[in-house]
Amino acid sequence: MVRVRKTRAEIEGRWREEFVVEEEEKISPWPAEASFRYIGGRVKTVDGVAKVTGSATYTVDVSLKGMLVGKFLRCPYPHARILRIDTSDAERMKGVRGVFTFLNVPKIPWYGGLTNILSDVLRFQGEEVAFVVAEDEGVAEDAVEAITVEYERLPFVVDPVEAMREDAPKVHPDGNIFAGGPSKISRGSIEQGFGEADVVLEETFRTSAVLHNSLETHSAVAHWTSIGLTVWESTQAINNIRQRLSQIFSIPLSMVRVVCEYMGGGFGAKFDPGRHTILAALASRMTGRPVKVYLSRTEENLAAGCRAQSIQRVKAGFKRDGRITAMRLEAIINLGAYAEWVPLVGGPYRMLYQIPNLETVEWGVFTNTTPHTAMRAPGFTEGTFGLESIMDMAAEELGIDPLEIRLRNYAEVEPESGVRYTSKALRDAYLIGAREFGWEQARSVRKENGKVRAAGLASVVWWGGGGPPAYAEVKLNMDGTIQVLTSTQDIGTGTRTVLAQIVAEELSVPIERVRVVIGDTSLELFSPGSGGSGTLASMGPAVRAAAIDARNQLLDIASQFLDAPPEILELRDGRIETKEGEKSIRLEDLLRQLRDFAIVGRGARGPNPDGYAVETFAAQFAEVEVDVETGAVRVLRVTSAHDSGRIINKLTAEGQVIGGVVQGLGFALLEQRAVDPASGSIINPNLFDYLLPTSFEAPEIMPVFVEPLDTRANTLGAKGLGEPPIIGVAAAIANAVSRAIDLRITQLPITPQTILEAVKKAKK
Amino acid sequence: MYPRKFSYVAPNRVEEVLTLLRKYRDEAKLLAGGHSLLPMMKLRIIGPRLVIDLKNLRDRLAYIRDGARVVRIGALTTHADIELSRTLMRDIPLLPETARWIGDMQVRNMGTVGGSLAHSDPAGDWPVAMLALDASVTIQGARKRTIPLSRFLKGPFTTALKPTEILTEIVVPKPPKGHGWSWKKFERRAGDFATVNVAAIVVPDGRGRVKNVSIAIGSVNPTPYRAVNAERILRGKRPDAGLLDKAAEMAAEKAQPSSDLRGSAEYKKWLTRVMVRRALEEALSRAGITLEMTQHA
Repeated sequence: MVRVRKTRAEIEGRWREEFVVEEEEKISPWPAEASFRYIGGRVKTVDGVAKVTGSATYTVDVSLKGMLVGKFLRCPYPHARILRIDTSDAERMKGVRGVFTFLNVPKIPWYGGLTNILSDVLRFQGEEVAFVVAEDEGVAEDAVEAITVEYERLPFVVDPVEAMREDAPKVHPDGNIFAGGPSKISRGSIEQGFGEADVVLEETFRTSAVLHNSLETHSAVAHWTSIGLTVWESTQAINNIRQRLSQIFSIPLSMVRVVCEYMGGGFGAKFDPGRHTILAALASRMTGRPVKVYLSRTEENLAAGCRAQSIQRVKAGFKRDGRITAMRLEAIINLGAYAEWVPLVGGPYRMLYQIPNLETVEWGVFTNTTPHTAMRAPGFTEGTFGLESIMDMAAEELGIDPLEIRLRNYAEVEPESGVRYTSKALRDAYLIGAREFGWEQARSVRKENGKVRAAGLASVVWWGGGGPPAYAEVKLNMDGTIQVLTSTQDIGTGTRTVLAQIVAEELSVPIERVRVVIGDTSLELFSPGSGGSGTLASMGPAVRAAAIDARNQLLDIASQFLDAPPEILELRDGRIETKEGEKSIRLEDLLRQLRDFAIVGRGARGPNPDGYAVETFAAQFAEVEVDVETGAVRVLRVTSAHDSGRIINKLTAEGQVIGGVVQGLGFALLEQRAVDPASGSIINPNLFDYLLPTSFEAPEIMPVFVEPLDTRANTLGAKGLGEPPIIGVAAAIANAVSRAIDLRITQLPITPQTILEAVKKAKK
Repeated sequence: MYPRKFSYVAPNRVEEVLTLLRKYRDEAKLLAGGHSLLPMMKLRIIGPRLVIDLKNLRDRLAYIRDGARVVRIGALTTHADIELSRTLMRDIPLLPETARWIGDMQVRNMGTVGGSLAHSDPAGDWPVAMLALDASVTIQGARKRTIPLSRFLKGPFTTALKPTEILTEIVVPKPPKGHGWSWKKFERRAGDFATVNVAAIVVPDGRGRVKNVSIAIGSVNPTPYRAVNAERILRGKRPDAGLLDKAAEMAAEKAQPSSDLRGSAEYKKWLTRVMVRRALEEALSRAGITLEMTQHA
């Protein structure tokens, strides 16, 4: 009998209630002493060859008969109203099959109802004005150029502090403050806490809006036929896209199929359908032909989201021994023109340390800039810079080693709720990380030839426990191959590989025999989006349960063939054998005799444990070299020590850490979406002026995994790793640079000029 | 990212190019490496009617010819050709070093020295290096003419080229054997255009003094410039640290950078000073000139 239970599930700090189907049979977690063939190894990605040879199909590779191409006309101003729009020239052009504007599309509410799919009011530069579909891309672009628009330019505001003023231009009729006021969360009494402090520090930290820059831009192919709507989308959440499309177009779920076989990254920006998806679907419905849209890099960097800019005013009280008595954060978060949620800049303040008295005040502010979207640990990457900077300031002030002051404020239980962790090995991460990095030697400041070397560290807390609902099937084929059926997707982390490892391990077969199917909702096996560092921790247990179910069925059938009780049967290297080995049959021989009766194991992700917090942790160490004459900073090396529970694949895990560290380095030193305050226009919506780090900037990176045994979080003991590697990098680098120049860095990115200005200011 | 419609032709002879230029004038664009032209076309910043691809002229216009006093470099010579040229490594090592820091390998394999000079980007690298070397350029139009590079570079993206002319060759005088040289390019990130780029050549007099020196500075003015005042105070001297600082300060005085994403005007001016001093230190050291030690009070 199927049991249904209510539980709470989280993605990136947003909680929701879910009903989940409970397992009939309890599956026990792998024990500490388990010996594995695949789990924990350095297993090469099963789809690596497909990717590097170009046979992997990305959305942009989808080419259907009669396919049209769609292109957008975008608003050149930060705030404007369309007075007149003339599309007649565009419509008359040869090869043009449709031109859509606010005048002829349905009023589909967009961004939570703050605007419509196309509107006459435009609130950021790059916002979609019109959509053209044509026989080919060149014609579509010509037609976009042929549309004439008369705009009334409206007063705009691009700075979040300015936007908070009473007399600021209004981005929305209801004002510029999200939900009308800040989110205020507190515990204890900060007045009392600051009163008890020996030292009180205050500082304001600033982080910039930065861009995801996934290799693959947002793209979709929509094909509307009599049987329904099929959408190929570069997305990290096919099931979410499907649900949204079903709602928007009021068609049953069964009529919507969403496919994403391969994708070139999302970093949080690809959870939802975009305007491009909806308009492609509308255009396909109208023309009866498939429609492809993919954004150029310029469009992507103007309109596909960003990490929100933040301003963090921090006040922190400490005892002489380094213990925090109280902390207060007031954060101003630039949401851009539209938002349905505010990134949790206060998250690390609330979750990292045992702070008895705390208040966090987070303002979400609308401005006439690109709407923010989730980006790799949204809020936490920003907040950790402020929090871990003030911790280092306190360490300096009190003469305590930066590592020691963190250990003195270590949270043994989850500080917000007081519940225990399923596992927490942050202390190991600090100590083993420090040893591997050589913190004792590296922390002293060394000067040589006008260059100064120094080191810094930062701590990381994040969710990443994953959760239900997530379903999988494991099917044993007649030829002895195994299919893992899921409707999950691979954001680029190696989903197929780790799921194949789990099945190969449980069924004791070579991994080459396992084929993992992902990225197609038509399998009707719900899985959550690939975000919040949750794919493995959500999907892995479901797949493992399905594999065990298949194994049990297999042993049951084998016992009849071998005339031996199933309890004494085992799976070993592709054979089913009795314990003593006297009776045995090859898996494929058995399955062949079953003919078309395929064994199908079913598995579901169980709920997370009640009364426990599932969190991930890391300690990150950076050594830098500062050229004090030019202000140039070079990051020499980074050691990143992680508690992400059990590591399923060392190779892909190291890939996550390397990628996260390099992206964090960009956030620390190079990246900044720049807005001209006078015109409100974006200065660098490209990869020429917007600086992404290259292999030249990448330091030597040493990933360390401390791997506590976690038997409570889920049946794998694995926690997430997608986001933690970026979170503390900027703070660790900023702390290292601050020590090198003996001045506190308070702003990201740390450009050469900001370093020289800081040095000059200090000299005065 | 599709350009507007245009016609395309890839002539086999320079004469054909000139005929087309005379017909189309400003509406034609020459395609060499394409790293500046194609992005501008794709972004629809420009929309030439005719693109004249020079790829079939490579046989004629891509070369590095060693002469007695000069090296002649064909306009279609790629950055990579210069980077790997043994002739240049031996006689004018500043040029391979300049090439080495342009863009990335793909860019260096396609981009050409003539294209870069004719594009005249204020932050380009070739104009700076070539200016320090007193290079000249040969221009083919109705007639052929050779002019100093200093007269060729007129302003940002503006040169002495008429719409009916094509740049065919760069003539680079060889600095004397034993000269010192330096290329200092400050870039925010590998492969970026320079925030400041400085080329320096120092010719020693054999007695530990500077016989001749040239300092060229790019990215901080509409066109690269020679720091003539700084050069003057160094000639005939065995400099000390103070004189180098003074020269660097004088060299930076002429810089009038604008504030942009690469930094404020003030920062760039300071950076110019630092880069000039470092370039001089390196070039002097390579020329075998040791600094005069000075007593500090």
